[in-house]
Parts: sequence; C-alpha cells; structure tokens
Amino acid sequence: MGFEKFLFYVFAAITLFAAGMVITRRNPVHAVLYLVLAFISSAALWILLEAEFLGIVLVLVYVGAVMVLFLFVVMMLDVDIATLRAGFIRYLPIGALIAVVLALEIFLIVGPANFGLQQFPSPVPAGPDVSNTEELGLLLYTLYVYPFEIAAVILLVAIVAAIRLTLRRRPDTKYMDPAKQVRVKKGPDRIRIVKMPSESAAVPAVAASAAPQESTE
Amino acid sequence: MQGEFEFSAWVPALPEIFLALASMALLVAGAFIGNKGTRVVCYAALWSIAVTALILIGRDWGRSLVPGGMFVMDSFAGLTKLMILAGLFAVVAMSIRYLHQEQINRFEFPVLVMFAGLGMMLMVSANDMLSLYVALELQSLALYVLAAFHRDTAYSAEAGIKYFVLGAISSGMLLFGISLIYGFAGSTNFDMIAHRLEDMEAIRLPILVGLVFVLVGLAFKISAVPFHMWTPDVYQGAPTAVTTLFALVPKVAAMALLIRVLFGPFAAMAPDWGQIVTLLAVASMIVGAFAALGQENIKRLMAFSSISHMGYALIGVIVADEGGVGSVMLYLLIYMVMTAGVFAVILSMRRDNLAVESIGDLAGLARTRPFVAFAMAALLFSMAGVPPLAGFFGKFFIFVEAVDAGYYVLAVLGVLTSVVAAYYYLRIVKVMFFDESAEPFDPNKSLSGRAVLFVAALFVLTFIAWPQPVISIAYDASKALFIQ
Amino acid sequence: MELLAVFSPLAGFLIAFLFGRQVGDKGAQFVTCAGVIVAAIASVVLFSQVNLADAPYSRVLSEWIVAGDFVANWGLRIDQLSVVMMCVVNVVSACVHIYSIGYMSHDEHKARFFAYLSLFTFAMLMLVSADNLIQLFFGWEGVGLTSYLLIGFWNHRHSANAAANKAFVVNRVGDFGFVLGIFSIFLLFDSVQFETIFELAPQMAGVQLEFLGITGPALTIIGLLLFVGAVAKSAQLGLHTWLPDAMEGPTPVSALIHAATMVTAGVFLVARFSPLYEYAPEALMVICVAGGLTAFVAATIGMTQFDIKRVIAYSTMSQLGYMFFALGVSAYGAAMFHLVTHAFFKALLFLGAGSVIHAMSDEQDMRRMGGIWKHVPATYVMMWVGALALAGMPFFAGFYSKDIVLEAAWADHTWFGMFAFWMGIAAAFMTAFYSWRLILMTFHGRQRADEKVMAHIHESPNVMLMPLVVLAVGSIMAGSAFYGGFVGSPSDEVVMRDGQAYVSAWNKEHFWGESLHVLPQNDTVEAAHHVPLWVKALPVVVGLFGIFCAYVFYLWREGLPERLAGALRPVHQLFYRKWYFDELYDLLFVRGSWSLGLVFSKKGDGGIDRFGPDGFALVTWKIGALLRRMQTGYVFHYALVMMIGLIGIVSWLVIRSGGVVAP
Repeated sequence: MGFEKFLFYVFAAITLFAAGMVITRRNPVHAVLYLVLAFISSAALWILLEAEFLGIVLVLVYVGAVMVLFLFVVMMLDVDIATLRAGFIRYLPIGALIAVVLALEIFLIVGPANFGLQQFPSPVPAGPDVSNTEELGLLLYTLYVYPFEIAAVILLVAIVAAIRLTLRRRPDTKYMDPAKQVRVKKGPDRIRIVKMPSESAAVPAVAASAAPQESTE
Repeated sequence: MQGEFEFSAWVPALPEIFLALASMALLVAGAFIGNKGTRVVCYAALWSIAVTALILIGRDWGRSLVPGGMFVMDSFAGLTKLMILAGLFAVVAMSIRYLHQEQINRFEFPVLVMFAGLGMMLMVSANDMLSLYVALELQSLALYVLAAFHRDTAYSAEAGIKYFVLGAISSGMLLFGISLIYGFAGSTNFDMIAHRLEDMEAIRLPILVGLVFVLVGLAFKISAVPFHMWTPDVYQGAPTAVTTLFALVPKVAAMALLIRVLFGPFAAMAPDWGQIVTLLAVASMIVGAFAALGQENIKRLMAFSSISHMGYALIGVIVADEGGVGSVMLYLLIYMVMTAGVFAVILSMRRDNLAVESIGDLAGLARTRPFVAFAMAALLFSMAGVPPLAGFFGKFFIFVEAVDAGYYVLAVLGVLTSVVAAYYYLRIVKVMFFDESAEPFDPNKSLSGRAVLFVAALFVLTFIAWPQPVISIAYDASKALFIQ
Repeated sequence: MELLAVFSPLAGFLIAFLFGRQVGDKGAQFVTCAGVIVAAIASVVLFSQVNLADAPYSRVLSEWIVAGDFVANWGLRIDQLSVVMMCVVNVVSACVHIYSIGYMSHDEHKARFFAYLSLFTFAMLMLVSADNLIQLFFGWEGVGLTSYLLIGFWNHRHSANAAANKAFVVNRVGDFGFVLGIFSIFLLFDSVQFETIFELAPQMAGVQLEFLGITGPALTIIGLLLFVGAVAKSAQLGLHTWLPDAMEGPTPVSALIHAATMVTAGVFLVARFSPLYEYAPEALMVICVAGGLTAFVAATIGMTQFDIKRVIAYSTMSQLGYMFFALGVSAYGAAMFHLVTHAFFKALLFLGAGSVIHAMSDEQDMRRMGGIWKHVPATYVMMWVGALALAGMPFFAGFYSKDIVLEAAWADHTWFGMFAFWMGIAAAFMTAFYSWRLILMTFHGRQRADEKVMAHIHESPNVMLMPLVVLAVGSIMAGSAFYGGFVGSPSDEVVMRDGQAYVSAWNKEHFWGESLHVLPQNDTVEAAHHVPLWVKALPVVVGLFGIFCAYVFYLWREGLPERLAGALRPVHQLFYRKWYFDELYDLLFVRGSWSLGLVFSKKGDGGIDRFGPDGFALVTWKIGALLRRMQTGYVFHYALVMMIGLIGIVSWLVIRSGGVVAP
C-alpha cells in the first residue's frame, strides 16, 4: 500500500465520518463545521486525483464563501433544535432501513465486482508541467462550451431569483438615491429662499433642504 | 476541437439563442423600467415567444447536431418546442391581468417564464447527459422561483420551498444516475451510450440501476407516482398563473425528454425499462384517479388530474414503438389544449376581486355564465374521455396502441381508472349546472383568457371533424426518434 | 355546387345557434331559411347536371380518420341516388322552414328551433351524400340526435320528453344492428368506402361468415344487420313504436323528419346498398315480407285512430312498408319513386294537419273537429290534394308510384312478392278509407268543437300556405313528371325524331346510371310494365271503394262506425290498441328490466347493492381518503415516499436479476 493510497483512505474516512456527524449533531453550528470538514477532506481527495483546480475551487467557493454564509445564517436564526429532532426517533427505523438497503445496493453496483482496481488500468500520472486549470479551461471553452453557457444562464436566473425573493423596500426605511444626489444642481435644488415679512426681532432667514429624505448637504 | 468558431454550425439552436438573448434583453429593460413596466415587458415577452416560434417554424426540422453533439434538432424536438412555446404564450397572455389583480406585477415574471421555457426547449433537444442536466436545472430553478413568486403569502412560499427541496433531491438522484451511467458506458453522449449498449450483457444491471435513478429525476418532473407528492401542494400554493404554467408546459417538456432518453441511448433496453415505466404508469393512473375524489380545491384537483393524465401518456411510452410515441404526443397535445381551457376558467374565478379556488364556488355557473359553463363542461367531459370529444381520442389512440402491442391489462386498467376519474370531472359539471347558484363571479375582462377558453372548447368539440392533421403531426414527429 | 347544397344548412345552423341572441329571432329565421333555400336551388341544379346528364362524381373533401388499413374520408358521393335524395330533403326542408315561421310564431325559442331544423337538414344531407359507411353513420346518428332534440323540443311537456327518449332508445337498438353491419363489412371487405365495397360485392357472393356462432352467407348476414338499422330508423314493424309517439314534436318536425326525410333513410340505405343486396336474395326476401306486413298492420291501425297526426303517422309507416317491399323485390327505382312522391304528399298532409291544428287552437282529436271546411278553405283544398295523392287516385303523384310498386311486387312472381302484393292491395283499400275518414271527420259533418275554439278558428297566414302550395304542386305533378325517369322502361321511351327511332334519355337505365344495381334477372320494374290489366287497375278500384266506404261510414250513415266497432269488437280493439305492440314491449322489456332494476336497487332488499355499486363507491371513496391522508404536507414525508419508491424499484431490479452482478 503506497503512501497515496494511505492518504486516500485517511481522507475518505474523514469525509465519511464528517458527513455522518453533519446529520447527527444536535447543535447546527457544529453540524455546519463538520460539513466544512467534509468539504475540505473531499478537496484533498480531489487533489490526490490530480484535479488541483477543482480541489482549490471547492475550498475557495464552498468552504470560503458558501459555508461561511451558512454559518452566519445558522447562528443568526434561532433554530429550535428540539422541534427539529422531534421526529428523529420515530423515523429512525425506516430511515435507517432505507439507508442500509440503498447502501447495499449501491455497493452491489459500484462495488469491486464492477469498479475493482483490476477492472481499470491505473491512470498514468500527468507530468509536472501539465496544468490542470488549463486543461479544464480548454475543454470548458471548446467541447463543453454549450453546457457552460447554459450554466451561465442558470447563474443569471439564480441572481434574479435571489433578488426577486429577498429584496424588499420597507416603507419606513430611508433610502439614498445616488442618481438623484448626483443630479442635484446648485441653484434651486439646494437652497430655497423664502420671503418672509420682517418681524420686530431680528430672526435669521429660514433655509430648507431640497427634500426631506435627502440629507445631502 | 480547437477550430474556428463558426456561427453557422450553431444554427440548429437558433430559436433557443434568440429566446435567451430576448430574455436577457427584457431582464435589462425590466431592471431599468421597474415594475411599472411589467405590462410592457409581458407584451415584449409575448412578441419574443412568437418570434421564437416563427424562427422555429422557418427552420428545417431534419436531424442536425451542434458542435460537441450535445444538442440535437429533429422533428420530434420541433413539435415539442412548438407546443412549449404555444403553452408559454398562453400562460404569459393570461397572466398579465392576473399579476395585476394579485398585485404581484413584477417584471421578473415574464422573464422567468421565458428562462424556464428556454430550459425546457433545451431539454427536449438534449443529446447528452450533461446538456440534459443543465437544461433541466435551468427550467427547474426558474420554476422554483415562480412557485414562490407571491412571496408574501405563506402558501406560495411554502410551495416554492417544497418544490425546491424535493426538486433538489430528485436532481441529486438524476446526477447520481448519470454518474453511474457514465461510469459504465464511458460517455455521456446519447449516441455513444447507445453504441456502447449494443453489447451490454455484462453491464446490464448497473446501467439499468443508473437509468432508474435518471428515470426518478424525470418522473419527478412529470409527477409520476410515487414521485408526485409535491404536485398537489405546489399546484395549490403557487399563484394560479404559475400553476397554469406548471400544468401546461414542463409536463410536456419532461415527457419529451423522458421519451428521448428512453428511445435514444437506452432503446436497446426497452424490455427492462418498460417494466419500470409500467409501474409508474399504473401507480399514476390509480393515485391520480382515486386521490382526486374528495378534493375541494380545484387547483389541487387539477394536480391529481394531471398525475393521472401522465399515467395514461406513459402507457404509450411502454408500447415502445413509433405508434406508441405518436399516441403519447397526440395525448400531450390534446392534454395541453384541455388544460389551458380549464385554467382559463380557474383564472377567471374571482369574487369581490379575490381569487376563489373551491369547486363549490362554481355552483350555478350555468345560470350566471352559460357560455363559460358550457365550455368548461365540454372541457371536463373531454378530460374524462367522453366521446366524441378530443380527450376521448387521446385516450383511444393510447389504448389502441397498447392493445395492439398486447398490453391488455394496462388498457383495461386505464379504462377502469378513467371511469373513476370521470366521477370527479362530472361532479364539477354537476355543481356548475345543478347546484344552487353561488354569487356570480366578477366580470371576466381578460380577453386572452376568454380567447384561450374559446379556442380550447372549440378544439375539443370539433376535433372529431378534422382529426387527421393533428394526428399525423403527432405521429410524424415521433418518426424522427426511430430513424437511425 | 355540391358544397353549396350540403353545407349551406350547416352555415345557417351555426349562425342561428351560436349567435342566436345577437341576430335575434328574425335573423335566425332568415339565415336558416336562406341556407336551405340556397341548398334547395343548388340541389336542383345538381339534379340537372347529374341525373339528366348522367354525370355522377364523387369528391374527397379531406382525410378524416386514417389508422392502418382503416381509411375514412370526408367525401361527397354525388351520384343519381344521392342527388335525388338531396333534392327531396332540401326542397321539403325549405318548405318546412318557411312554414315554421308561421307555425312557431308564438314560441319563445324560435332561434333554437330553426337552428335544430337546419342541423337536421345538414345531418340528413351528410347521410345521403356520404361516400363511406363511417360518414353515413355520422349522418345517421346526427339525424337521430336532432330528431331527439326536436321531438322533445317542448321540453316542459312530460309526454314530449318521454316520446323523445323512446325514439332514442328504440333507435339505439337499430343502431346496434347497423354498427354490427359496419363491422362485418369492414371485416369482409377491409374497407368502408362504398366504391370498394360495391366493386367487390359480386366476388363475395359465396363467402361464409360466422356471426354469433352461426355460419351463414356473409352478404345475407350483412344485409340483415344493415336492415335492422333501417327497421328502426324507418319504423318498420317491430321497431316502429317510437314513430307515433314522436308526433309529440311540433308538426313541422313531424312533416320534415317523421314523414319526408329521416324515416326514409332506411329505404335510402337499402337502395344505396343495392349492389350488395342483389347478391343476398335471402335478405331481400326478409325485407319484402317485413315491408308487406308493415304496410298492412299500420294501415289497420290508421283506420281506428282519432288523433289527426297519429293517423298520418301510421299512414307514413304503411307507405314506408310499400317502399320496403318494393326494395325486397329488387324494384329499387320504384321504391325511390314512391319515396319522392310520398315525401311531397305526406309533408303536404302533415303541414295541412298542422294548419288545421293551428286553426283549432292546438286541438288534435278528430272527434272534436268537423264542419270547418268553410273556415279554412285553402287548407281544405290542400288536404284534398294530399289525400288524393295518398290514396293513389289517377294522375296524382301517389297513383304512379304506388302502382309501379304493386306491379313490381306482382311481377316478381315469387311467394313473397305475391304476399306483398296482396298485403299492398289491402293496405291500398284501407289507405283510401282512412284518408277520407280523416277528411270527412275533420272538415265535414257536425261542428263538434266548442264555441270558444270555433270563435278563434281562422285560416293560416300566407307564410304557412305558400309552402303548402309548393308541396301540392309536387303532389300533383311529381308522379307524372318523373315516371319516365325513375321507372320508365327504355323500350317505352322510343321517340321518333327525323324519321329515326331514337331512345330518349328519360328512362330508368339512363336516369339511375350506376347508382342502383339490379341484376338482369331481377329487373322487376321492367317486368312491371308487362303485367295484366287487372293488376294495374286493382289498386285504383280498391281505392275508390275505400273512399266510398268512408263516405258511407262517416257522412251518410253516422253511427255506423260505432255499431260496426261494437260488432267486431275484438278486431277493432286489436287495431285501436295498435296490435298491442306497446303493451307487449312494456310487458316484455320495460317491466322486465324495471323489476330487475328494482331487485338491484335500494328498494329491493339492498343486499346486492351493498356489494354492488354502493360497495364499489364506498371502497373507491376509502381508497381516495387513504391517498389523501398520505398527502400530509410534510416535505420529509414526501421525500421519504420518493426514496421508498426509488429503493423499491432498484431492489426489485436487483432481486429480479438474481442479485448477482456479472463480474
């Protein structure tokens, strides 16, 4: 057993363990942290496969961005763990049964009979001058340009979705409108001079701002 | 691979390219105009869809691929896309007033509908597991958002969430299936897979299991039992305009994709997947017929109705020959027209400017709105499969194909369940014609709604006089799948 | 032209039905009348093009149903036979449409009525111009449907609804036979196109067909099955009970549907299939006997009825019997001839009766009429013309057609031909008798109506009289004018012109062309021209005798009928009770199924019900409830169901393949 193989089993074991912890931890913050662990160890697996780019992207995007966001959300929401876990025991037997059966079946299919090492010649390791990123890029922009473009559209839809579902303008919040601010002219927009009859006591002239919402002076 | 980029090679995808560009242009325009311009954006969306359809009609429908072989255009895809575009057009046209009435007139609506439509058009042209997956995700994502479009009502938000979560699970299964198939067949390309499967005894079971996972993902989209559970809740919770979309278009696209997958790469395994599809079809027919019995909400009822209709359509898939697919296409076509008509009525169910959705609200419609009641009755009778209306012919051709291929049990089961289903359709007719009048609905000002209803009713009533063009269109389109 | 003739009534129907409210009653009347008048003119033009010039053609409008070998088109078969029918249908329909403007002037739903009338006309045209069996069946069902709608037009009357249902149900029995006939034709010929069927018919003469376990000559079985359809539609003995009841409909409907056109569809059907029936002599024999019996039985009933419309209805049935036995002896031309003349004089009689009923404030019982001829002179004259034609008095239309029918039956020289001939002679006597009984009871003698009715009595408006005049002209002229064409022998029509013998085109061979097919040895119409003089004269003689008897009974010796009825009480009761057909059917079928129904229904002990329909309904409902309960609304339940479904399928696959994966 070479060192690579040893590393593979280590990281695979960590991934499995972390994934199990994700769904069994009581505290959601812990669960998220275990998920981060699972991601990192799978990134390591990827790197073992010489897919450095994917491994790094997994760390950057999922661990760096997505999971941090997740953590924030979980910590900000006051998740009631008791209600979440209320049905756990009740559904455990059937859930476990399904999981076991599924695992068995998948093992049957993906198991050594079909995917054993003897079935496949071991891949030739790429030389040090081969850039995984470049290879991916070449494929992505030629052969796979079609799904790539569609993926771009999916992201666009995701942006629209996020905005549509979350953006609200609350009537009681004050907003600034930079466009309006920029367009303000020196003259009547900024100062309005109001003529008033002079009173006996000397009172300074009243100045008013352009609009109540725009405190732009 | 690294050749010059040639636009002419991408011409088969011209309608989709146009639709994508138009959607993005409308998105930008909408972002600038804001929600005041929803109506304008809707009209522009209608024009874009119409132009897309024109481009599609103008194109040659012979089989052609784009570079990379992930996108295929043939007459099967052509007909399905035309149906999709027609459905989109009807939905957008009927929604304009609805959005306004429900105060959700946001410009994102037509844009999202167009993106969903784009996804569906790409789905029916998929010739690779990858393009299948991304196209499916594109339409799903747009549909999730649309389901939750009325985000301020709990129902709509719940519908969106449920659809999203379950949809994600089904996507996961789909992906897992794809990876299994890739692992065993060595390619994601449909033609390559078909080639690989010519000698498949060794990998029969693994491929079949992979196919099951893929089938589950697709069955979820056509809401075949037991992957249908989201359908009633989402149909009921989503804004009615969105429900109309759900009932009309994605079903057709997903069914076409299912057919393309089964008859393309996995044609050689027909006896194997036939049994799985049989299971789905039988379960769908039974659940669709029985579960709808006690429903009071008409949108929920239509959900079960669509489940049972998909069950019937699947019988044609099981037959697994040219005629079978032709009968499915015919069935889908008729199903779309009928459903569009029924939803035109549901959209017009408003009282005191509030949408009502219970079947009891239709009481006495025959007295307050005789024409609408008559048209609705014709559509419901047609859905129940009463001759000589169009719906009867849809079922008839399916059953004839099934009997021809020796699937007697399926045909008998289909007839029996349609008898059960007839009960709940006829109950609505009874409520409309014989129950004490409820308060009359608000006057229906939607011209497009009335037009859709009129066309749909006319179609089901006069189909018998001129069935041949429609039948031959459907059957001709199915031939494309069997030319190798 | 043929499109104009067939589709203008449809256009009229669509406008009147869909936009009845927009165009109003007047508009609906105008468009429907205009539609059928255009159609009538177009069909007369067609008559000159097709029949006189011997130029039949057929035209495919579009594909209809194509499924494998099975091809049915929308097509028009414009040959001599269909053009004759189109002329009859359109002309009578035009008259009835115009007449109805006056007759229905007090009705509230005029637009609907006219729409139905036009729809009926269209369906009938579809029936006669069909070029395949499926389209013919479409028209066949179409006329059945519109007949149902029109009989029950006054749907607030219970009796009208009952009559409509009866007509529908009885016709379904016939339709069943007809459909079986279509199936067996498709089985035998592999086609439903007339062209193919007729071409292949001679080769099929010896083919055997198994039906219901009985093996028999295929063409005979088909012929009999088709005849079952014809029996119901044309109210032949056995399935005739609906026709008298159908008189519940408005009188114009009775004139159009239940006298002139729809009931003759059966005759048309047999004539259309003459190329097939010629090779099925047994079927023809049955038709002949049935026709003869019907002619006789219906006439006996007609003598005793008091409702003016029912008398005419039974006379219709009797005359249809004439047509059928003419068909039965292969005298298709004679049958068609009688069909045409009958259409004119029977429509005339019905519309005249309608005029009387209208004048008498909707009174239909002849016992409460009498002595009104001075008040309604025009109607009176029209009824005379109609009755003379019906009784077959010389030089009226009925004379020519009835004579040729009877002569053909005699000339057949077979036992059933003779049977039909003597039945026909007896019926001719009775026909004349009841025709004059009708006229005398209605117009002459004492005034038996009460004061109020007599005060209101009035001649009908011109809009109702005008169609009567048209029909009266037809009743007088149609016989002599068309005799040569419909049944004339080629040898009789030799004209000397420029010193050369020249066969005029106006003879039956030339007139019918290929549309009627008669084997040379069966040409009874030809033979009918060479029968002894007494055969030719007998119908007129018995007719005159019948008229004389009617005068004796109902004008000169009042009270004689009652005494005679008393003396021959059993016979009179038999006739008056319509040979107990209704009672018999009531006993055999209606009561039987009713009591069977009672056993199964809740009024029985309920035992069957609990396991039968109610049980099914309950189980169905429970399954539904169970499935509804499964729809909990929880996402994880839904996901669970999906997973179970997935696992189930995969496990099943794995188990099925033995759980072993090939290495």
